Amino acid sequence: MALAAALGASGTLAGRRTARLLALVRAAKPTDRSGDEAIRARNELVVVLGQRKLLQRFWPGLMHAFVFWGFLVLAPTILIAMIGIVDRGQTLPWLGSQGWYAAMVDLFCVLVLAGVASAFYVRKVVRPKRFEGSHKGEADLILALIATIVVSLLLWHATRIALGLNEWPAAWSPLSRLLSHLFARDETTRVLERVFVWIHVGTILAFLAYLPRSKHLHIATAALNVWFGRTAARGRLEPLRFEPSEGEREEDLRFGAGSAAELTWKEVLDAFSCTECGRCQDACPANQTGKLLSPKLVIMGLRDQLFDTSEGAREAALVPGAVPEESVWDCVTCGACVQACPVSIEHIDHIVDLRRHLVMVESRFPSEAEPMLRDVERSGNPWGHQQAQRADWAAGLGVRVLEPGEAAPEYLYWVGCASSFDERARATAQATARLLTAAGVDFAILGPRESCTGDPARRMGNEYVFQALAEQNVQTLSGAGVRKIIANCPHCFNTLANEYPDFGGNYEVVHHSELLARLVAEGRLVPARDEALTVTYHDSCYLARHNDVLEAPRALVGALGTPLPMARSGRETFCCGAGGAHMWMEERGRPINEERVREAAQTGAGTLAVACPYCTVMLDDGVQSSGQALRVADVATLLEEGLLRAQSEAQASRQASG
Amino acid sequence: MAMHICACVKRVPLTGGRITLTEDEQAILTKHLGFTVSPHEECAVEEAVRIVEREGGSVTVLTLGPPEAEEQLRDMMAIGAGRAIHLLSGSKEWDPQATASAIVQAITSDEQAYDLLLFGNESADAGNYQVPIRVAHALGWPCVTAVKAISHEGEHLICEQEVPGGRDVYELSLPAVVSVKEGINLPRYPSVPGRLRAKRQPIVSLAPERPAPRLEMVRLMLPPDSGKQVQVLGHGAEAAPAIVEVLGELGVLP
Amino acid sequence: MSVLVLVEREPDELSAQALAFAAQLDGGAPVAVAIDGPYAPAAWAQTLAELAAQRSPLAVIAPGSERGNEVLAHLAAILDLPFCANTLTLTPGQPATVTRVRWGGSLIEEARLHGSPLLVTVAPHAIAPAQTLPEVELVEPAAHALAVAPTKRVGATGTGVSLETARVVVSGGRGVGSAEGFAVIEELAALLEGAVGCSRAVTSAGWRPHTDQVGQTGTKVAPELYIACGISGATQHMAGCKGAKKLLAINADGEASIFAHADYGVIGDLHEVLPALVDEIRKARGA
Repeated sequence: MALAAALGASGTLAGRRTARLLALVRAAKPTDRSGDEAIRARNELVVVLGQRKLLQRFWPGLMHAFVFWGFLVLAPTILIAMIGIVDRGQTLPWLGSQGWYAAMVDLFCVLVLAGVASAFYVRKVVRPKRFEGSHKGEADLILALIATIVVSLLLWHATRIALGLNEWPAAWSPLSRLLSHLFARDETTRVLERVFVWIHVGTILAFLAYLPRSKHLHIATAALNVWFGRTAARGRLEPLRFEPSEGEREEDLRFGAGSAAELTWKEVLDAFSCTECGRCQDACPANQTGKLLSPKLVIMGLRDQLFDTSEGAREAALVPGAVPEESVWDCVTCGACVQACPVSIEHIDHIVDLRRHLVMVESRFPSEAEPMLRDVERSGNPWGHQQAQRADWAAGLGVRVLEPGEAAPEYLYWVGCASSFDERARATAQATARLLTAAGVDFAILGPRESCTGDPARRMGNEYVFQALAEQNVQTLSGAGVRKIIANCPHCFNTLANEYPDFGGNYEVVHHSELLARLVAEGRLVPARDEALTVTYHDSCYLARHNDVLEAPRALVGALGTPLPMARSGRETFCCGAGGAHMWMEERGRPINEERVREAAQTGAGTLAVACPYCTVMLDDGVQSSGQALRVADVATLLEEGLLRAQSEAQASRQASG
Repeated sequence: MAMHICACVKRVPLTGGRITLTEDEQAILTKHLGFTVSPHEECAVEEAVRIVEREGGSVTVLTLGPPEAEEQLRDMMAIGAGRAIHLLSGSKEWDPQATASAIVQAITSDEQAYDLLLFGNESADAGNYQVPIRVAHALGWPCVTAVKAISHEGEHLICEQEVPGGRDVYELSLPAVVSVKEGINLPRYPSVPGRLRAKRQPIVSLAPERPAPRLEMVRLMLPPDSGKQVQVLGHGAEAAPAIVEVLGELGVLP
Repeated sequence: MSVLVLVEREPDELSAQALAFAAQLDGGAPVAVAIDGPYAPAAWAQTLAELAAQRSPLAVIAPGSERGNEVLAHLAAILDLPFCANTLTLTPGQPATVTRVRWGGSLIEEARLHGSPLLVTVAPHAIAPAQTLPEVELVEPAAHALAVAPTKRVGATGTGVSLETARVVVSGGRGVGSAEGFAVIEELAALLEGAVGCSRAVTSAGWRPHTDQVGQTGTKVAPELYIACGISGATQHMAGCKGAKKLLAINADGEASIFAHADYGVIGDLHEVLPALVDEIRKARGA
């Protein structure tokens, strides 16, 4: 029958394409996304069903939610319509005659149409920047198809009511009933009833065939992509292997993604899930400051390369073929894109994998970063300073340096390269050390035995050098019996807590702001609050977005002065610009740090509080270069000043009363 | 025309801003120091690799050094040297004459016949300026030092030696010995496939006998403190007037 | 016993220093020798070898210039004698004792020098030049089988003041931050009619060509004033600029090791200090 033929045609077209997509996924490189089923199920409920990430932008999110929930509610009507084609008088048993269901259908038809209408409004009237580079024509077509499906459904219901064929009580579907008044109970309507159901089913079948060829594929892949997203340790990059495993040859080893053939199946799934919505592009600090990078275009570029069936496309170089070289290096790995993406695409993985290939296989990377890579490997820190001087910042503070063979303290204070060597970041380590000592915390530093955690090398894509450093540090830490670590720097924190377990290093890691906040809460450190001290706190991407450390630094700021938060704070924080090894790379376009400093100045605060040495340096640079009147200080420095304030206040009141 | 080149390198510490000596004053304290190939020599290996990439042949890297110098040999193999020879030096220093004769011994007994020996002009640490020249005389090959550019024309090697005011151009017949200076090229950053290949490559290990030194190191010393006390002229932009005053005093203000 | 000193035909400062060094030895008045012919190190060395065979000097001395080190190395190879390059002090004896320069000057080696004659080059600027110079004996060059002479000289590329001869060198390190960041360094150098230098990190980063690099493996400079901006003071860099009469260090890090070598220091960001300095200089000139 005609329906069978249509189904067959549509099914074949859709099926062939789907088979090709599946083949691409199966041919992709492996990656481990197993375990944590409970969390994954929860993500499905919250992100997919609950549309949580979409609702990060409330109105567009709601618009999409209407369409999505509408799709779920209206799904059975596809079957009903197909049954109705075969036999005009038949419908789905039970559901087809339920008034409440008919009411929901009516309601969601309206909501879907409202969604589609507002989508058209946004695209045609508002025309936001995030759609630049997206296939707008394709989006329009999809919206039109959705509208056609819904309108034809309503009209079909209307004509059935007009003909008295409705299996459900018409009173339950007020809109359809209203529309039914347009149709008389006559031959024309009988014909129209057939016309509308065929338009409805025909459009659906055409859509089905079109679906896997368009970005609407996301309706199938998004749910899968959300399932396979990271469940923990968002800041952790997946390690590469440099030794072939059983049955693997060295030629099979993967050093990042140089061609489409080298993408992992999750990266392929990511590419298939992209809806070209552009929220990542909007959130990207590089994009916001005039750089070429658009995370959206990166994913779209990779997707297009995957779909390219021409000779040699699978082995062709992704950079600059699918992604411009400049874009790869613009990224600061802040994660704003991953956070914004409604379908759980993990753009950082893609960009780092592209970098890995460029750095490790082609040795093709910004030359200004080469001294850093050489120094971090040969001298143990990215500036080539002498490791023997790594503890010089602690001179005179009575800080214990843990020597080999000595018993480990309760806490190992991991200072990091920046606070060990940078003249501005040193203040944080010095303040923290004094605070820990004052609170009687049992801690020590490794001094010269502390090497760079390898974060800058890893974010640049040099996984090989990173792993050498990781293995060395794990050996030092575990060899010393270290269990708990206070990390001074969020990048060290992220690497020690989330990435070192892959190399046998399992430690309990806290950021210095977390421990200091705990000490204040426990009354072991008692600062005095100065209401006149207006402070705006800048969340470090690696603390807030990658690791959910939000409350502790805020508690400190709240205990010290008057917080004046920025709009983009917490997990919405805007990067300082140093991540992704950008501390060592040149920046094009407008400086990210100045952008952030401007935002901070707008709060009217006098102090810009930070919790990261990179942020300290970048934002202070930004303050200098943009001439703002802001003092940049780490929460540890501010806490110490708060303590001194309390002491001097206590002294003053003693003198007054004495 | 294929060139078979041997580049000689030395493992030196990355001394950074301050040198500290061991208690017995026999060596630099290297406890927390990283190591590298001496800078001129890294350029020599890079030059060898480039020549062979252009013309075919082979690059062997050779070092006289402690067991740890294997790290430097593997680093050089990672940027393209196909073979490595490790002359184990033991714990004591070898003076330049002994170093040269060990190298000559290794070169002449090697199964590979060489067209060109490349050296760094002087090693970063001892800076004796003589090993390449001694090797050349022992082999009876011509030698040019301080070379900043090498090209190959027929049977001759054209070498540009840096001199004050320009470059002297030499034509050498092969085989020859050339020492190069940093700046002749920018050494490439090693690739990971290169590093992995280098890890697996066997190294020819020899243990030459150390002859009695004729330039015999007795001890090392830090240079006497200059007694300089820096005069801080100020902080930030505000120091500008004070600087101008000093410039005037020094007579460098035009 | 005499002491032979290889000098330039027109003795320069380093030759005069070598003569002063030789005069300190107990071998009598030094004999200044220059080779009357084009430069060919092996041939010059052969000449000295024959001269040494005739005169049996205590020592053959040369300045520790590129040329001096090269010729004496050839001489040492020809005579199969040890050779001590860049010597600071020499005390004849059985064996002689020397102190010599390592690490471009950041370390000193004390050693015993065997053999006779003693073959030694003098570390540049380790000794004051001789005030009166003896007559220079011109010697015909001998031949040597391995002698290679240059076929031609090509002029130095690059315009502007040469790093080696500039009275003022303004040098930038990692702290400059980028290739574009050197604009202010170039501006200051131009104002002071000096040359632009840089550290090794800068050439590794690809911001400046190696010809600008000052250091142990770059150019060694001896200006009246060396202005080090954003340079930490690594020994291999100091080896290149320790010949400077005065050193002004500008660095944001007050603890940077360069301040230990500096005569004058400014603690601050060079991107703030240098523009202000340029303005002040212009003002001073205008006034």
